[in-house]
Amino acid sequence: MSPAACSHVNGFKVDNWKQNLRVIYRCFVWSGSAETRKRKAKSCVCHVCGAHLSRLHSCLYCVFFGCFAKKHIHEHAKSKRHNLAIDLLYGGIYCFVCQDYIYDKDMEQIAKEEQRKAWKLQGTCSHLFAPAGIGERYSTWEPTKRELELLQHNPKRRRITTNCTIGLRGLINLGNTCFMNCIVQALTHTPLLRDFFLSDRHKCEMKPNSCLVCEMSQLFQEFYSGHRSPHIPFRLLHLVWTHARHLAGYEQQDAHEFLIAALDVLHRHCKGDDNGKKANNPNHCNCIIDQIFTGGLQSDVTCQVCHGVSTTIDPFWDISLDLPGSSTPFWPLSPGSDGSVVNGESQMSGATTLTDCLRRFTRPEHLGSSAKIKCSGCHSYQESTKQLTMKKLPIVACFHLKRFEHSAKLRRKITTYVSFPLELDMTPFMASSKESRMNGQYQQSMDTLNNDNKYSLFAVVNHQGTLESGHYTTFIRQHKDQWFKCDDAIITKASIKDVLDSEGYLLFYHKQFLEYE
Amino acid sequence: MSKESQLRALVNQKLIEMGERERLKELLRARLIECGWKDQLKAHCKDVIREKDSEHVTVEDLVAEITPKGRALVPDSVKKELLQRIRAFLAQHATL
Repeated sequence: MSPAACSHVNGFKVDNWKQNLRVIYRCFVWSGSAETRKRKAKSCVCHVCGAHLSRLHSCLYCVFFGCFAKKHIHEHAKSKRHNLAIDLLYGGIYCFVCQDYIYDKDMEQIAKEEQRKAWKLQGTCSHLFAPAGIGERYSTWEPTKRELELLQHNPKRRRITTNCTIGLRGLINLGNTCFMNCIVQALTHTPLLRDFFLSDRHKCEMKPNSCLVCEMSQLFQEFYSGHRSPHIPFRLLHLVWTHARHLAGYEQQDAHEFLIAALDVLHRHCKGDDNGKKANNPNHCNCIIDQIFTGGLQSDVTCQVCHGVSTTIDPFWDISLDLPGSSTPFWPLSPGSDGSVVNGESQMSGATTLTDCLRRFTRPEHLGSSAKIKCSGCHSYQESTKQLTMKKLPIVACFHLKRFEHSAKLRRKITTYVSFPLELDMTPFMASSKESRMNGQYQQSMDTLNNDNKYSLFAVVNHQGTLESGHYTTFIRQHKDQWFKCDDAIITKASIKDVLDSEGYLLFYHKQFLEYE
Repeated sequence: MSKESQLRALVNQKLIEMGERERLKELLRARLIECGWKDQLKAHCKDVIREKDSEHVTVEDLVAEITPKGRALVPDSVKKELLQRIRAFLAQHATL
C-alpha cells in the first residue's frame, strides 16, 4: 500500500465520477433515509450466490455486487477488467491491480461527507430512535494543510505534567484591586473559559484596545505563558473602569459586584462570536459567557384560593443566598434537623451548610396579606405562595453568600461559618424534582443516578476583615486535587482542608459531566 | 437457497430497512470500545505489522491474522446484549 493513492483510480475519475460515487455511498453504503434503506435491503446481495453477509463489495464501474470472501467480486473484476470495488460495510475502495485497499484523497473526502449526511438523517428519525441514539458522532481531528504548516513553524511544545505550575500566576495589587484580582483568578481557572480563550475563538468586532474579551484573551496568554513573575493587570483595570463606571476609583469594591459587571461587559463585547442564531433576542445570545454561566431560575407563584400557578423563568449568572444572622427571617427550616448526611456535609445542629442555604432558597414562601397578587384564575387579589427552583443549571454555578448587610438599620459583615462540599448534587433543587415530588413520585434513588446535576468545586473567593477594610483572596483548583491560594502576587500551595475550612464568600462549582447539545 | 439462509436474508432485510442494523452497529461499537476490545486488537495489529514486512502488509493479511483473535476476545456480555436486542426487534416485528 503506497501512501499516495494508486494510479489505477485515474481510469475511474472521468466524467461525472464524483456524483456517481456519491450515489453509491448514499444508496448502498451509508443509507440515511428510509427509502435508500429499503433499496439497500432489497438489492445488496451477491449477484453470483445470493449471500449478503460475506463482505459484500460493489463494482465501481457497473452494477454488480459480489462477495469478497468467496472471491465472486474478484472474478467479476478479472473478467470485465473493472479493477475498482467498494466495500459496502465500511466504504473502503479496493483496487484489484494493487490487491489492496487504497486511499484516494478526493474519494475519502466524498466518503466522509456522505457519512456525515447519513448520520444526520438517522439522528432526526426520532420515531425510530432506540436507546443507542446516533446523533453527531465524534471523529478524530485531522490537521489541515495550514495547521500542519503552523505546527512545523512552531516546534516548541509545552508538556503538562502533574507538578507543573502552568496557568498559575500572581497579580500585582494596583491599589485595593484585590476585588478584581480574586475574580480574575477564578475566571482564568474555569476550564471551559480557558479552553475557549486558548483556542483563540474570539472574533473581535470592536475598536482596538477597547474590547474586554480581547483583554481577557491576552490575560489567558499571560497566565499560560509559563512566566512565573506576577502579572500587572493595568490594561484590564483601565478597561473595567471605562466600561463599568460604578467600579472606578481606588476604593475597595465588592468582588461579587465586579464578577457580575465583568460577565456583563464580556457578554456585551462577545457580539462578534454569536453565530447569528439568536441575534434578535438580546437576552438569549449564544456567546461563551451565556453558554457557561447562564442558568434559568423558575419562579412559581401559587394562588392560595384557586391553586392556579403562574410560572416565570428568569436568567441568572449567580445565586445569592441569605445567611443565618441576617435581618431577613431565616431559621428554622424544618423542626429538628435529623443530623443526616446530605451532599457530604454533616448537619449537626449549629453548623450551617450550603445545602441548608439552598434549601431555604428554594422553599415555598408565603407572601403575606400585604403582598397580594392579582390571580388570573380568580380575577382578584389573593394571597399566594412563591417558590424558586432551578429550571436550567449553568455549566458553572456561582454561589454568592450574602455576607455584607447593607440594610437601613445596619451595615455589617456576617461572619458565620458556612460549610460547603467539594462535590454538590443540585438535583433536589431542580424544578423537575419539585414537580415529581408534587406528583407523589419520590424518585430519590433515580435522581442520584442522574449525572446531569453533579458539580465539583473549583474556586473559592474569601474576604478577610470588616466591611470598611478587608482583603480578598482566592483558592483555585489545579489538575484534579491540587489547590492553590492566590493572594494578589503570592501563590502558595493549599490543602483541601484549608479550602473547606475557609469562610467562603463566592463559591464556584463546575458541572462534572458535559454533554453535547 | 436453503430455508435457513432465506430466513437469514429476510431478517437482514428487515434490520436494514428499519435502520436497526445501523443502531446495532453503533451499540456494538460503543460496547467494544468500552470493554477495551478495540485497544487490544489495535495493539495486536501493530504487533502483526511489526513482525511482517511493514511495507508490504495488505488489509487482507491483517484481516486474516486478527479475525480469529478478534472473534475470541468479544466478551460474552456483549454477545448476550446484542442477541437480546435482535430478539426483541424480531418479536416486535413478527410479521415474518
